[in-house]
Amino acid sequence: MTTIEATKPIPEPAGDNYLTHTTGIMSWLGTLDHKRIGIMYLVSVLTSFFVAGIFGLLVRTELIAPGQTIVDADTYNRLFTLHGAIMVFLVIIPSVPASLGNFVLPIMLGAKDVAFPRLNLFSYYLWVTGAVFAVGAILMGGVDTGWTFYVPYSTTGTAMGGVVMVATAVFILGFSSIFTGMNFIVTIHRLRPPGMTWFRMPLFLWAIYATGILQVMATPVIGITVALLAVERSFGIGIFDPSLGGDPVLFQHFFWFYSHPAVYIMILPAMGIISELISVHSHKHIFGYKFIAFSSVAIAIFSFLVWGHHMFVSSQSPLMNVIFSAITFSVAIPSAVKVFNWLATLYKGSISLNTPMLYALSFLFLFGIGGLTGLHLGTLATDIHLHDTYFVVAHFHYVMMGSALIAMIGGLHHWWPKMTGRMYSEFWGRIACGLVFVGFNVTFFTQFVLGSKGMPRRYWDYLPEFTVYHVVSTIGSYVMALGFFITAAYLIHSLFGGRRAPANPWGGRSLEWQCTSPPPHDNFATQPHVGDCYDFSVLEWDEQEQGYHWRHDLAHEPGEG
Amino acid sequence: MTFDLCLPAILATAGQRPGSIFGMPEQASTIAGPIDLIYDIITWISLFFFVLIVVLMVYFMIKYRRTSHVANTGGLTHHTPLEVTWTVIPLILVIVIFYVGLKGYVHLTTPPENAYEIKATGQRWFWTFNYPNGATETNILHVPKDWPVKITMRSDDVLHALFIPAFRVKQDVVPGKKTHLWFEATRTGEFDLFCAEYCGTQHSLMIGKTIVYDQDEFEAVIDDLARWIDQVPDDKLHLAGALSYNQCLSCHTLDGSQMIGPSFKETYDLFKSGGTRTLADGSRVTVNEEYLRKSILQPLGEIAADSATGAAYPSSMPTGIGTQLGPRKVESMVQFIMRLDEVAPDGKLLEVKKEDIVVKPSESE
Repeated sequence: MTTIEATKPIPEPAGDNYLTHTTGIMSWLGTLDHKRIGIMYLVSVLTSFFVAGIFGLLVRTELIAPGQTIVDADTYNRLFTLHGAIMVFLVIIPSVPASLGNFVLPIMLGAKDVAFPRLNLFSYYLWVTGAVFAVGAILMGGVDTGWTFYVPYSTTGTAMGGVVMVATAVFILGFSSIFTGMNFIVTIHRLRPPGMTWFRMPLFLWAIYATGILQVMATPVIGITVALLAVERSFGIGIFDPSLGGDPVLFQHFFWFYSHPAVYIMILPAMGIISELISVHSHKHIFGYKFIAFSSVAIAIFSFLVWGHHMFVSSQSPLMNVIFSAITFSVAIPSAVKVFNWLATLYKGSISLNTPMLYALSFLFLFGIGGLTGLHLGTLATDIHLHDTYFVVAHFHYVMMGSALIAMIGGLHHWWPKMTGRMYSEFWGRIACGLVFVGFNVTFFTQFVLGSKGMPRRYWDYLPEFTVYHVVSTIGSYVMALGFFITAAYLIHSLFGGRRAPANPWGGRSLEWQCTSPPPHDNFATQPHVGDCYDFSVLEWDEQEQGYHWRHDLAHEPGEG
Repeated sequence: MTFDLCLPAILATAGQRPGSIFGMPEQASTIAGPIDLIYDIITWISLFFFVLIVVLMVYFMIKYRRTSHVANTGGLTHHTPLEVTWTVIPLILVIVIFYVGLKGYVHLTTPPENAYEIKATGQRWFWTFNYPNGATETNILHVPKDWPVKITMRSDDVLHALFIPAFRVKQDVVPGKKTHLWFEATRTGEFDLFCAEYCGTQHSLMIGKTIVYDQDEFEAVIDDLARWIDQVPDDKLHLAGALSYNQCLSCHTLDGSQMIGPSFKETYDLFKSGGTRTLADGSRVTVNEEYLRKSILQPLGEIAADSATGAAYPSSMPTGIGTQLGPRKVESMVQFIMRLDEVAPDGKLLEVKKEDIVVKPSESE
């Protein structure tokens, strides 16, 4: 019934949707609706992104010239620490699963909600609590350890008072992440409707599932690690600090045992989004569904076995370095498979160069660079030179920002009409995407050159020979920021002045495009019909509605089957 | 220990090549050429795949761009032989890359038996290098050309990392254990030396120089380094202190401005006036010669409080300075502070040259 409504040209959304279902601030703060929780996550994550982005811009501005430019060394150290810690723990890790994932996962699956709606809300409030502790850490004197919290600097070396607070924040945020992951795993196992077999699930769900496994299995380790760190700093109990009988390299093992899989907690959902975007916006069946699905699982498994590649110069034994280098290269294979399968999906497609697709194509370009430069860092002989230089900074920004966040922004544009019921300006969308793409490359490609020339990371001051690269990088960051500010402007404008979105503006086949935009409170009035979610031949364009609907010459419509 | 990846041609040109075309710095060690070769091989492979991906992507974007809303029908949904192909080809390539990287790494971690050994200490925020003949130098690493050098490193506080880009070597310095790196310099000259592991406020100022000499000259340099302080007459010892001040300057200023530790100017003024200094625990101590000596040898014994705010200074002064410097250099530092008005009038350090204050044995007789 719902979908029949959606196929009719409707200037105003008919009746009830999740935004109008109940009203008042409490109906949001106490909601158990996965869509509203997703929206609350989205607003919170984007706010954190804004804050940490400002910190990043301040870091770049300080580095526009050698010596002191705008802040002193201690302030600079606080800024890059907060930029990293907020971006990782408050933005990228929860970005795709907890915001977009929360919104679309149950609808894509054909379910009314996640398996544990209360746990879902609790997980959001844990995120908020973690954020409050992070703000508390700033108020208590800040943190200057870098987001890696390496000991003994973080336990006995720094005089800044925020370390224990920020460790508590990470601990709490970890539980938020664990609960989200567990909720999604159970939802995918238990709430698939009839017809939604594992191999009919959209690849985004496979990616979220693989991510959930990582969240549940890896995150407890960071919780234990920061707890031990706090105990050592507060009570002087020797675990990591050699002057107390501890081992600082042990901390690095613990830290990366989580933080390497965390890289995949960030990138796997992004890859899932790209699989959807590339297929839907080229109206072409995804190429090699099973290879992509299994490569997500393969990446999840391999990612547990490669943490030591962050520690090639840490003084861990050479034999371990060799083993970790070897296993590291195994992660390259499933990543390469995905890229080639996406390219093959484009082949003979009907490629729409709209904003979400431009972000998806940017992802291919940027992940190409981010992934391939991983080869330089996984290789022992070259990593010794490149480790802890700007080459590493550039590499992980290409992966975490150029890939994970760009995919998230692409997904946001893809699902924006569904979430808000409004269309944004395509013109400004493409302009902003172009600015972000160009600005990003100017900012971070320059840093590969800086790094291979030997510029160490986390430097407040630098030798004059590096100046020109820093100037270029900083200018690039301003261009990128301009792109993001334009994005914020037209997205906010669309909420009030945007054209009403049809149910299916892009011609997507997965189930979320079968309900209205925005979806009703219960997602589906009747059990939706599950078909091949990448078969676009059953849809046709409706000029009046400016969207797609089921072909009239076909026997039955989705939802009736 | 062979390293058959070092093609003779590379070895022959190592030292003259300006580094890789992909942005590596100048090459000044035997390993730099082979590592740049590996770097170039990986970069070429990466470039090939990157160009392949982008060219295909852009070609498809143009060729298959949407021209009408007619739904797309069909197209290949999978092709197993093709997918196996693009799984296996990258697999073979990464095995090759791993192998060449391994060969280079084995070379990097295997110092020759006859290597010349130098001890290095990383402390916030300077490097100290100790030579077998007793010579000590701060932030400058003197090494011979064409002779393998092994650096044994330790830290007295937090993690640091010794990084010499021109040699392509880097190793973390870890408190509680000894770590090593080795290289064989191929060119004379000065090369940058960095701390690469974040260590706090002045991390980016924990930098220095590596100076490579011909072997004869190197012998003379470290010989002089070991003995010059003994050749400074007592009445010029405060000037010798000026030459050791570079390891104090990241925390102690000469002009009275506050940094991580009390300014030497403030300490000097207290010494001159016979005044007392308030300590972190509230007690007061007279600033005399004995206090100055004790503060260098046992820096964590009496932590001073900031005269303006009353807050304690951080307990971050390295404890090993006394041993590294030796008694006479410690004495020179004590004299340096006691006669600060002569060495640094108005907070500006005099330019002191070693040869001006050293009296060679023959001259004194």
